[in-house]
Amino acid sequence: MFLRVRFHGRGGQGAKTASRILGNAAFGDGYNAQDFPVYGAERRGAPVTAFTRFSDSEITERGFIFSPDVVAVMDDSLVADQSANPFAGLRKGGLAIVNTTRPAAEVNGGRDDVTVLTLDLTRQALDVLGKAVLSASIAAAVARSAGISAEAFVDGLVDELKEVGLSDDLISKNVTMAEAVYDELKPVKLRTEELPAKAELVPFTVVVSGGGSEDIVNTGNSASRRTGNWRITRPVIDYLKCTDCMICYAYCPESAMSVRADGRVAIDYDNCKGCMICQTECPPRAIGSSTEDGR
Amino acid sequence: MKPELMTGNRAAASAARLARVDYVPAYPITPQTEIIETIAYWVREGTMDSKFVQLESEHSMMTAAGAASLAGARVFTATSSQGLLYAMEMLYNVSGWRAPMVLANVSRALAAPIVLEPDHNDVLAARDSGFLQFHSETCQEVADLVLLAYRVAEDRRVMLPAIVNLDGFYLSFTREKVVLPEQAEVDVFLPPYDPPHPIRATSPVAKGSAVMEGHLYSYFRYNMHAAALRAKEVFNEAARDYQGHFGRAYGPVDGYRLEDADYVLTMSNSFTTLGRQAVNRMREQGVKAGLLKLRMVRPFPSEEVAALLRGRKAAAVFDQNLSPGMGGVFYPEVAASLYHLKDRPETLLPVVGGLGGKQLTADEMCKVFETMRAVGKGAAKPDPMFLMRADELARAKKALATAGVQG
Repeated sequence: MFLRVRFHGRGGQGAKTASRILGNAAFGDGYNAQDFPVYGAERRGAPVTAFTRFSDSEITERGFIFSPDVVAVMDDSLVADQSANPFAGLRKGGLAIVNTTRPAAEVNGGRDDVTVLTLDLTRQALDVLGKAVLSASIAAAVARSAGISAEAFVDGLVDELKEVGLSDDLISKNVTMAEAVYDELKPVKLRTEELPAKAELVPFTVVVSGGGSEDIVNTGNSASRRTGNWRITRPVIDYLKCTDCMICYAYCPESAMSVRADGRVAIDYDNCKGCMICQTECPPRAIGSSTEDGR
Repeated sequence: MKPELMTGNRAAASAARLARVDYVPAYPITPQTEIIETIAYWVREGTMDSKFVQLESEHSMMTAAGAASLAGARVFTATSSQGLLYAMEMLYNVSGWRAPMVLANVSRALAAPIVLEPDHNDVLAARDSGFLQFHSETCQEVADLVLLAYRVAEDRRVMLPAIVNLDGFYLSFTREKVVLPEQAEVDVFLPPYDPPHPIRATSPVAKGSAVMEGHLYSYFRYNMHAAALRAKEVFNEAARDYQGHFGRAYGPVDGYRLEDADYVLTMSNSFTTLGRQAVNRMREQGVKAGLLKLRMVRPFPSEEVAALLRGRKAAAVFDQNLSPGMGGVFYPEVAASLYHLKDRPETLLPVVGGLGGKQLTADEMCKVFETMRAVGKGAAKPDPMFLMRADELARAKKALATAGVQG
């Protein structure tokens, strides 16, 4: 057996930790294991990818997993995100585990040749931990689906959470949460087939046909990179309390505060990342908050 | 010790602790930071008996490292990328002082433009500094090479500092199986550093003296070159001893499926794992493919490269670095190693890829083998391959369009 698992999450959800919990669990269960995260500048909410490989023989691969057997999607807004593209390369017959409240048909990335398993892990994490950290539960879902023993899984989970530095209380809550997921699922028999490779190389002359600098002529284009779906908490302006002092406009690091024709400030929810600096700075406390999905 | 999962960064820190280093001057930079965080944590909790100091820059860090090494301490430090370049002036001094410290370099491509993922222009910028260089493919190799590096560097026939290179992300943050050597065995393999003329209050000695004249300068530089060349035999001796203690065998190069290989890919560092995959795929298709890994980069293992590439139909050199206006850095070094052989491979294909951590697939490495085969006997000099997939170029063009410039 050789299983390649790719985790897709957002900074803060625990994708890297999930990949390490699964690595520990597989290693503890007697497999060779390897795990590896990819992240750019570390930002809460930004897409993060992490990988776990495990095998009963030596692992002769390294780095990015282009053809996973399993993808674990920790945030359903990533399904349609072009930069995350979680279903890319998922093997035919592979398994996608998606954290969502939507039906499987809406979060299958347009793939009908894979199995999609949907779980509402956010609800459970908010209930048990009080925040949407999913590393333990998503790792449990993959470990159980892959047939890793409960003992090796819990040992691997506890080891990793200790290394991260969690309190005994939080570790025990994570174990409770993860065991509930583990017990609810069954091992999945996977027969996967790699999609045809598309490694078409381009000649050097094509690569160097144009410019040579990193200049950005179209300045101010950051609004076209819609970062609103990074948001976990949504700022909401109470216009009855707002005094139009423009402090929020000045402090917003994303320039996601604009001034409407009537002179009032408005939030650009397509780009607001939910940092809540506006709420902290607002002198009349006119900015409230809600969780993004109304939970 | 029993096998455990650990990152390349942790393997480097663990080897420094096993080497019982006295002093660790440090300055953090992604992706090296975990090494010095780990050491700082161990020193604070009392499980590592070393002096740990965070300096205000890599230049100061390297100066402190060299000075402490001259004073007689066993010294370890680590950096990456711009940090190594900022320390560069002192690298040449530390090697000239013949201070045998060990530096772990966690490869990260150089700015500009800025990126966090690896290529080898950082460590190869230190190619001519007089530091010995050992490059790792796996996390296990990181730990083993740090210990070997101390044995070689501190040998009186060598007395040169050493860099152990590990790729950012692909090793630094990748956890895989590592078996750490037992401390008691390491203590036998690597006894305490016995410095020549250490600085002691009771026996004054001047270090780093100026010479001011070319003949004396040349005398010392030629000696440094001779010492670096001797380091290969010293490494081989140390590696045999290492194998006796710990069971793992290391040479200056590593051959993979070379026994009857017609087509050989030469490469280094973590992407070698992908090269091996490509060799296996080509073998499945009936192509006699093989791989030559460069583990020792300084001294350059010219004799081993020549011995393993001679008589082959074709060879390729995969450079994960670029010297603009020339090409890959390893290519001319391999070519120079082969030049005097009558039976050198007729084709020596230059390949550049993986810059800034650009993803690499085994498919692309298979294309390198196919290109080697297509060049054929008696053909003209092969065009260099600069790896870029069509889908990657499309993404690059999209970014350029957003920026408003022509791609």
